[in-house]
Amino acid sequence: MQSFTEWFKTITLYEILVGMKATLGHLLNYKPVTLQYPHEKRTLPDNYRGMLALLRYDDGTEKCVGCDLCEAACPSRVIRVVSAEVPGEPTKRYSKEYYMDMTRCLFCGMCVDACPVDALGMTREFEWAVYDKRQLHLNKQQLLAIGDRSFPIREKRLELQHQNTAFFNVAFKHVPQKPN
Amino acid sequence: MTEIGFRLTLTFIQIGVIVGIVIVTVLLLTLAERKVLGWMQDRMGPMEVGPYGTLQPLADALKLFFKEDIVPAGANKFLFTAAPLLALIPAFIGFAVIPWGPDLTFDFDGVTLKPFVISDINIGILYILAFASIGAYGIILGGWASNSKYSLLGGLRSAAQIISYELNIGLAIVGVLILGGSLSLVQITNAQSGWFWNWYAFSFPAPQIFALVVYVISAVAETNRVPFDLPEAESELVAGFFTEYSGLRFAFFFLAEYANMVLVSCVASAMFLGGWNAPYPGTILEFMGLPSLAWIENTMWFAFKTYSFLFLFFWLRATLPRLRYDQLMRFGWKVMLPIALANIVITSIAVYLFPNG
Repeated sequence: MQSFTEWFKTITLYEILVGMKATLGHLLNYKPVTLQYPHEKRTLPDNYRGMLALLRYDDGTEKCVGCDLCEAACPSRVIRVVSAEVPGEPTKRYSKEYYMDMTRCLFCGMCVDACPVDALGMTREFEWAVYDKRQLHLNKQQLLAIGDRSFPIREKRLELQHQNTAFFNVAFKHVPQKPN
Repeated sequence: MTEIGFRLTLTFIQIGVIVGIVIVTVLLLTLAERKVLGWMQDRMGPMEVGPYGTLQPLADALKLFFKEDIVPAGANKFLFTAAPLLALIPAFIGFAVIPWGPDLTFDFDGVTLKPFVISDINIGILYILAFASIGAYGIILGGWASNSKYSLLGGLRSAAQIISYELNIGLAIVGVLILGGSLSLVQITNAQSGWFWNWYAFSFPAPQIFALVVYVISAVAETNRVPFDLPEAESELVAGFFTEYSGLRFAFFFLAEYANMVLVSCVASAMFLGGWNAPYPGTILEFMGLPSLAWIENTMWFAFKTYSFLFLFFWLRATLPRLRYDQLMRFGWKVMLPIALANIVITSIAVYLFPNG
């Protein structure tokens, strides 16, 4: 009896008909799961890791102190930092040049974790398709521009905005230095 | 105008109309296939060109028309050029014997004309099978002339597959030929008038339902459609026999494939499902007192049956994965062929026992 059932199912193409019923069911209860991308975009998750950017303090000075920790943390060697002293202030450093080769970036966010002064941030930009690969080699000005348009209010970690904590800030000249 | 000139003009008009209908159908099919496939897979299909993507076929045609025509290095130029035509012409030429509507005869100045069939030759179905075989040459030569291993493999697979399954198509329709007593599609269709149980798929002495199943499966294989799309298996052979083709030549192959689909669907509906006959005797328009418009209803029935088969093609494509090559061959020779042969024997016996059935 078992074998007869199997045989009957075979000659009536039973399995194929079951599959065809499934596809027809999807045709009749048509609920598309796709979004028409350029016209409608999906909601990004809160912790979305998009394009990297350099950030500024509220008064417009760069946060980056040129410590090279992001370069050390980067697994893909995306980042290249050229560090230099702040002219006239031998105790303070900043990044004279800052390059990112975004063709290699895998958006792991380890540079952002590594940064001691939160000078790096991951924005929610992801539409970075370009016709020329070289447009993805970004310099400091471009990275700062991305940060400026993505984080107009730089309050990522409020405790680091405090004057006493922002020790490496080169710009707050009116703030008294910490006692040595 | 001389009579021969007049006759030629009328025939050319007929050919033009039918080729136009077929090309429009093919354009619609390319869109319908992508749409239906998308809907069955919870997608939307093309949505960008025109409202709901309805102008997509035109955009595709324009793109293919203006694309660069590349002949690969080392290709046999003559055969590379001839192959798309060899595939396209047989696909279109078969429509000459398909009856699209009732078997009427018009008389223009002494020239008789059947408006719904270009040429009612008495070996109609044989003619279609013969040209379908020539269509296989286009595929094989296209695969060979491209000087590419993928094309060659696709062409070889296609050769083996088309030869195997053409046999099954030929044998599946023999039952209908025995019942109909003619090779002419017009006469076969005429003989199926009346209620739908007169259609040869369900007719009394020997219903050809198994032959219909064998025919449809073999037709899917013969037109290289999923699940029998081994010649153009994109996951294995890039695109099979037309890997190296681009632009207009690719469009010719594409057109040929879809025209072949329409052709086998037309043959299936004409031979097994009564062609232009409605499932009830006569037509509703005739019953309502408009016998001169009855042909509209009949052609609509023919279109409905044909499009149902085409929808089945899409449906199968959305459902089934591709067969392995040995499965394909085993299925063709060990399953389809015995069924088709047994159908011939049973039909012959039944027709012998009930000669007036």
